[in-house]
Amino acid sequence: MSRPPDPAVLIVGAGVAGLSCARALADAGRPAVVVERARGVGGRCATRRLGEQPVDFGVAFLHGRDPAFLAALAEVPATALPGWPLAARGAGRPCQPEAFTPGELRLAFAEGVSALPKHLARGLEVRLRARATALAPEEGALRVALDGAGEARAPTVVLATAPEQAAALLATVPGELPAVASARALLDLSRSRACLALLARYPAATPPPPWHVCFPEGSRVLQVAIHDSAKRPGAPALVLVLQGHTAWSRAHLEDPGWPAALLEEAGRWLGPWAARPEHQEAHRWLHARSDRSAELSGPVLLALPGGARLGLCGDRFAPGGGVEAAWRSGRALAARILEEERR
Amino acid sequence: MTATPDDPLRRLIERDQDHECEGFGAARVCVRVVAVAELPTRFGRFRLVGFWNNRDAKEHVALVHGEVVGAAEVPVRLHSECLTGDVMGSLRCDCRDQLTAGLEAIQRQPRGILLYLRQEGRGIGLINKIRAYALQERGLDTVEANLALGFRDDERDYAVAAHMLHSLEVRSVRLITNNPEKIRQLTQHRIEVAGRIPHVIPPNEFNRFYLETKARRSGHLIDLDRAPRLAEQSDPVVLEEPPAPRGAEEP
Repeated sequence: MSRPPDPAVLIVGAGVAGLSCARALADAGRPAVVVERARGVGGRCATRRLGEQPVDFGVAFLHGRDPAFLAALAEVPATALPGWPLAARGAGRPCQPEAFTPGELRLAFAEGVSALPKHLARGLEVRLRARATALAPEEGALRVALDGAGEARAPTVVLATAPEQAAALLATVPGELPAVASARALLDLSRSRACLALLARYPAATPPPPWHVCFPEGSRVLQVAIHDSAKRPGAPALVLVLQGHTAWSRAHLEDPGWPAALLEEAGRWLGPWAARPEHQEAHRWLHARSDRSAELSGPVLLALPGGARLGLCGDRFAPGGGVEAAWRSGRALAARILEEERR
Repeated sequence: MTATPDDPLRRLIERDQDHECEGFGAARVCVRVVAVAELPTRFGRFRLVGFWNNRDAKEHVALVHGEVVGAAEVPVRLHSECLTGDVMGSLRCDCRDQLTAGLEAIQRQPRGILLYLRQEGRGIGLINKIRAYALQERGLDTVEANLALGFRDDERDYAVAAHMLHSLEVRSVRLITNNPEKIRQLTQHRIEVAGRIPHVIPPNEFNRFYLETKARRSGHLIDLDRAPRLAEQSDPVVLEEPPAPRGAEEP
């Protein structure tokens, strides 16, 4: 039995950065293979279902100002909710204050924010449940060991994971290559921020709050309450997503009492009703976002001895942070890869 | 020389009150002349012209010597802000030598402009420069890492610089540079470059290393003690020939 031919580019991570890189390569006639450890694509652009009702439990809405990114959003075959969130309450700090500055376009999808990564992934070869565990240079290529899915090889490998996960993979590269060491140093500049998130569904009689997002000023626990069901036309149930502040989330990652603490804080700031959902689901985002102080100006494409190339992209690897930066970094890296191939 | 209401530079402020053009470069940056004042310096008298721009909070300035509004073949030097070099006298770069040599060269001419382009106003530029230095100290000085830390956006620099020169109504320039790329870039933005003045730096005890080693690696100038120096002004350094030993001048 012969092995399938190696792809020219193997991308680790099917979040927005990895998918936008793969999409741009595919559009240029250079199909890449994407490996993803989860069961679905999208990474932090994450939507799950409570019954039939979509709930965005990571990224709450999309925003940006780069015309190319806005054009990509316009292509997504989903029901766009322009301007969402239309009603913001509270003087607390949004995770990305630029989202609410003039000139920034905001948007949600009635089907959930995962409509964007799903659209980017259309027609791409994405291998799900394939977690990359080790990386080794080998005769002009890089070999990637995949947990439970064998291995894959490609002359160019792109790490489009959280910086900590990419750093852990680079730590498995045998020998001491200066390029790998400097890539690890770049990834070590700053730790990703954590975010504890709780999906809360309330009893049918609960009146919906008059806001789409609320940033309670003064709470050191609850950073934002997102009125998720306001994004779902005809939504049967009131659903909030509660997201914790960075420092509090970091301190309570291992504390089994964090969902109760987050609900209690919601009750204090939003009204007693908010502390009493009929159903709740918890999610720990260990690598929720990159700190803006660690922002880099562009993706990295390193030449390894023997001719292999190693790329890094993600929301840290473009100015501005967030989904827009992730998308732009993936595109910019694809352009670099194509440029190198033409040489 | 005091500024009068007839002062051509001051008239630019009035002219730019409502200025809004399609902008320069990929970012479509547009600038306005918003403030002018005298600036006596240890290098001579200049006038300092402050520019507002529509893209970020960076306050670019021009140091103007002599009458430049409407003038042709004006000597112009582009300098990118470098807090560590310009202000603190860092020896990791040559920025201070380049800045002072530029100001002195302009003062030797009847007229001239130094455009001081703010780079580090957003904070992240300076922080990432410190990070780049830290990587160098660990021996992790790669072009890719420096690109990612990217504290230079040359394309934006040239677009802003070109608009500033247009705003000053300079008809043509003689660029003080050793880097032909700067001429090409400015020409793309409809600046008429009538010539080039070599940017020559007088040797001193701190920059002798440029004379003593010609070694170059990936755009970096290498010091004798192997500490890499970033060429932050995207301008190769040309030093004046060292003065002949005193004794040789004696008849």
